[in-house]
Amino acid sequence: MSKLANTIKPFARPLAILGGVLLIVAALLPWVTFALNSGKYPDLATLQFFDAPFAVTGFRWHILLLGVLVLIAVFAPIPSKGRVVRSLGWGGLAVALINSIFITTEGGGLGAITAADGNAAFGGIVGIVAGIAVILGGTGIGIELPAKWKVKLSTPLAYLVLVVTFAAVLFAVAQTLTAGGQGGPANPYAGGLFLSFLGFAAGLLTALNGIGLIGWISELSEKHRVFSVVVLLACALLLPFTNAGSEYWMTVAANIGIYAATAIGLNIVVGLAGLLDLGYVAFMGIGAVVAANLSGAAASKVGIDLPFPIAAVIAAIIAGIFGAIVGSPTLRVRGDYLAIVTLAFGEIFTRSAQNNIGGLTNGANAIPGVPPLDLFGKEFNEPLNIGSVELPSGVLYYVLIVLLVAAVMAIFANLKFSRIGRAWIAIREDEDAARAMGIKTGKAKILAFLVGATLAGLAGAVFAHKNGTVSYESFKFLESVTLLAAVILGGMGSIPGAVLGASLLFVLPEKLREFSDYRLMIFGLALVLIMRFRPQGLVPDRHRRAELAGEDVGGVPVDEVHEHDTKGATA
Amino acid sequence: MSTPVLEARDVSMVFGGLKALQNVSLKLDEGKVVGLIGPNGAGKTTFFNCLTGLYTPTTGSVLLKGDVLPGDPAKVTTAGVARTFQNIRLFPSMTVLENVMVGRHVRMKQGPLASIFHGPGYQKGERAARERSAELLEFVNLPGIEEELARNLPYGDQRRLEIARALATDPAVLLLDEPTAGMNPQETEATRQLILAIRETGVSVVVIEHDIKFIFSLCDSVSVLVQGQLLVEGSPEVVRRDPRVIEAYLGKPPDEVEAEVQAMVEETRQHGDAAESTTVLPVVTDPKPEGEQA
Repeated sequence: MSKLANTIKPFARPLAILGGVLLIVAALLPWVTFALNSGKYPDLATLQFFDAPFAVTGFRWHILLLGVLVLIAVFAPIPSKGRVVRSLGWGGLAVALINSIFITTEGGGLGAITAADGNAAFGGIVGIVAGIAVILGGTGIGIELPAKWKVKLSTPLAYLVLVVTFAAVLFAVAQTLTAGGQGGPANPYAGGLFLSFLGFAAGLLTALNGIGLIGWISELSEKHRVFSVVVLLACALLLPFTNAGSEYWMTVAANIGIYAATAIGLNIVVGLAGLLDLGYVAFMGIGAVVAANLSGAAASKVGIDLPFPIAAVIAAIIAGIFGAIVGSPTLRVRGDYLAIVTLAFGEIFTRSAQNNIGGLTNGANAIPGVPPLDLFGKEFNEPLNIGSVELPSGVLYYVLIVLLVAAVMAIFANLKFSRIGRAWIAIREDEDAARAMGIKTGKAKILAFLVGATLAGLAGAVFAHKNGTVSYESFKFLESVTLLAAVILGGMGSIPGAVLGASLLFVLPEKLREFSDYRLMIFGLALVLIMRFRPQGLVPDRHRRAELAGEDVGGVPVDEVHEHDTKGATA
Repeated sequence: MSTPVLEARDVSMVFGGLKALQNVSLKLDEGKVVGLIGPNGAGKTTFFNCLTGLYTPTTGSVLLKGDVLPGDPAKVTTAGVARTFQNIRLFPSMTVLENVMVGRHVRMKQGPLASIFHGPGYQKGERAARERSAELLEFVNLPGIEEELARNLPYGDQRRLEIARALATDPAVLLLDEPTAGMNPQETEATRQLILAIRETGVSVVVIEHDIKFIFSLCDSVSVLVQGQLLVEGSPEVVRRDPRVIEAYLGKPPDEVEAEVQAMVEETRQHGDAAESTTVLPVVTDPKPEGEQA
């Protein structure tokens, strides 16, 4: 890489400027030569652009913005210039590549993005060339570590910055969630547009990281921790008031939240204690089954109807007990052997639930009709009116789940910086040395399983009421693997990582409905690539980052992954 | 005669057909430093593993202050025997301070619930552990690097961090397995001063080492292990004059060794009470370890 950097050093700036200009040009060029079979590629991507030149939207607007930012970055006196420019280049390349590949595969061949029917549409190709030029230019300018800002702020000013930041985060989350719209037959382009948006957002975020803004703000929020937590929670609760505030998006967000909470629980077992658990979702299943049976649903085998908080606690405790039981072999087995034990446990749960062994799961018929939660007579699946504002149904579940995720996060963070948390990390690092330090490793490992399983059981109880049906199909091996992938993708031992990982892995299936045949392949490819280029995960924990990243803490920008996503989809 | 703080009685360890240790006995009096020397494969580390509960001796027993130690490293550490490892075994991805705080584990009272909810007891205990750990880092001369990751420390500092971590368990007995392996003469000297300072605090020490001069100038008594059997034990003067030891181990005329040891003993006397202040080290520039002997 450094050899390459030296070769292009003399041309770095002109190359970056050329790339930036080309990005802008690409945004203004047509991208598709003819209307695609499933309908016009979104908005102004066809030649019709010239009918309305000022209404640039969607990915073209993103490309245009990236191009302008590249030019600003090259000419403005900013720190870590090379890194910022390179990040923007990756963003541009990702957007151009994703859209080009998408158009090619959806619309019928290379003709769609070159020349056909007497029309020419080279936007995509120019965009790809521009992206590569900017990346090379950035590399040639020189990749330094992300800049560190020394600016100190007075408390009120710091609060203001944090509020503005979290408001921006809220806006970005709402935009990301709704990007591309609801996937499905009615909207075949949702997946491509969503991935394209992810590429753009990732490019922008890594650029902000390079310039030092993200590091500075995270330091700031670390300093004002309580305030940040409160504002962040408030922002999360305000999501229903944004453009994501429809029933569909609330449901998607709530589902993500349930899996995020479960992933954080798994992160205790895998990320902190270093115990590979391949059957984790079974604990969520146990929690769901217990809650369903105690809910008074017609199909439940236990004829009692307990209030939800009590049922949830019982579900969590029973899941925790199973966690301790599964954890007990960990006294004897390590590493690969433990993974097989947990894998077997997961299978035992699915099979016995499927065949209704024990008579509590109703087998293949599932347990339907789990009543929705209610509070003061208000059912959680109804719309909510606050004054004159009507919020869509599902909002109350969303709020409940946000609180659940917040609670699980707090538990995780508190445990991590405690006596038992240090013991877990020590076991992960070197079990023999940990024992020599007086840590009762057997007890500690069982405790890790117990806590993780309890949290999963709690999430399962909410899952049962929210979905209304509890079937063994929701708790199969694949779900365990996806959860594990979410933890590793996001960054082991890191809370934001687990949430981001869970969000990506559970929102992508919603968006990529039209790719359903390729979905798993995309996941697989994404994981392989992340493990190759960013083994520490997208938002790594401080410890893991140092362990796996070596010198260049920034690693490879995340957008590279999304770009490969589409390659996988079209392979 | 008071009870020895640590006593091994006729410890034997058999792996399959291999007799790694045969009836090895050792007595360690309070506030003393005992050296354990012997050729590679003599069973020194195996003996350490028996003392710390990592191995359960096939026959024989280990007593701390007259009580038989359980065969479990965690319980042995709780009882008051701490150790370092021949090949450094820190927790590489934890910070320096966290490494030492893991050592405080057995002396902290913090249940799972306190860990989850961070109650008032948590804050107090955590602060105390943090302060004690910082103190120990100061003691082993590693101040000001609490937030560094252990993996990023130079070799010599890692050795000293391991000692600080072991000391954090408030041990009565500290077992050091080749604490100067791979060190240059200055570092070795600093380690010797550190061990003397540890002895000053009332902790008894057992040291495995190949560096004969280091052992003879440091220890109050020396045991020689050859092929799993105790060959000789006694004061350094007795051991280094023993013809069997000279033949089996030293390979140098006794007078020559004597002269070198005298020089080092003299040096120690000159440094005298200022043992702690002399642990100041030059910056370590060569963290390259020697080839592992295991």
